[in-house]
Amino acid sequence: MGAKAKGLHVVVPAYCEAEVIADTVAALVKIFPDVIVVDDNSPDATARLASSAGATVLRHPVNLGQGAALQTGIAFALDRGAAYVATFDADGQHRPADLQAMFRVLLDERVDIVLGSHFLGNTERIPPSRSLLLKAAVLFSRTTTGLNLSDTHNGLRVMTAGAARALDIRQNRMAHASEIIEAIARRRLSYREAPVTIRYSDYSLRKGQKMTGTVNILVDLMVAWLRQ
Amino acid sequence: MTIQLVLITILLLLALTVVRYMRAPRRARLIVLCVLGTGAYLVWQPNHANLVAHLLGVGRGADLLLYLWIVLTFSVILLLYLKIVEMNQMLTEVARRLTLLNPISPQPGREDPMRPRSDSDSTRP
Repeated sequence: MGAKAKGLHVVVPAYCEAEVIADTVAALVKIFPDVIVVDDNSPDATARLASSAGATVLRHPVNLGQGAALQTGIAFALDRGAAYVATFDADGQHRPADLQAMFRVLLDERVDIVLGSHFLGNTERIPPSRSLLLKAAVLFSRTTTGLNLSDTHNGLRVMTAGAARALDIRQNRMAHASEIIEAIARRRLSYREAPVTIRYSDYSLRKGQKMTGTVNILVDLMVAWLRQ
Repeated sequence: MTIQLVLITILLLLALTVVRYMRAPRRARLIVLCVLGTGAYLVWQPNHANLVAHLLGVGRGADLLLYLWIVLTFSVILLLYLKIVEMNQMLTEVARRLTLLNPISPQPGREDPMRPRSDSDSTRP
């Protein structure tokens, strides 16, 4: 595909990723010229390193959460006239080549959004507890939205500008993954899943969601439901 | 009884505070004063609270107050929580707009891109 990744803006939400952000950005900019790192007010050098590595950096004045960072990046990409928007994790667990393949699926099949799924692809070193947690999340989304997805909490996504506009993420913290799936169901966006390989490094496991995070997510979703 | 004296004194002080210092519409102050007045009256005549309680099928006035208190407290907590969520959303909106005003362009190899703009500040007011 090479230079044809034009018009695609890659949004990378990041918080305290100084250890890995430079590598993540460097790998991305080789294929995708427009990489936007949203630094969620990290106290470390994340923003500086991302900028030196070739990303446009947006820095939140206060820490707002990953969902908020995604929405800021998406809003910025749309303001800049992006035709397509991707989301990509900062911690090095995703592969730019997978995003490239997903972008091709989006263009070829003319769908609104392509979601990465690591249950379709290979997963390197996934711990059993993590696997169980993710499967529970899948079941939760299936019952609440009716969408039959194999992986609902994968940070790798690529979508058209129209779909990005329709998402409008309001869950600042971690419940945004469910919120995105819900928006797909409600707005009747067309979607595909594509296999991706997740590299669970020691680093990404240390940084990733803990079991207790699940409780917070459920509380966030319940408040959202109360406010409807 | 001593407790009646203590409670009524406190309620009176509260009422004075409301009259002198509470900056709110007249109607709001009136409502607060009515609540305080009702409280003082029921402290003075606890039997009347019992009467109301009996009417509602509750054994004692104190129990009725406890039940009402629990329900009110929960409602207030819930409302405050929703209010906080709403304020969070407003904060997010403000922070996002601020962020979008100041994008930092890619600066490959630059030592400290976080405070560059001595030369590019002219574009900003």
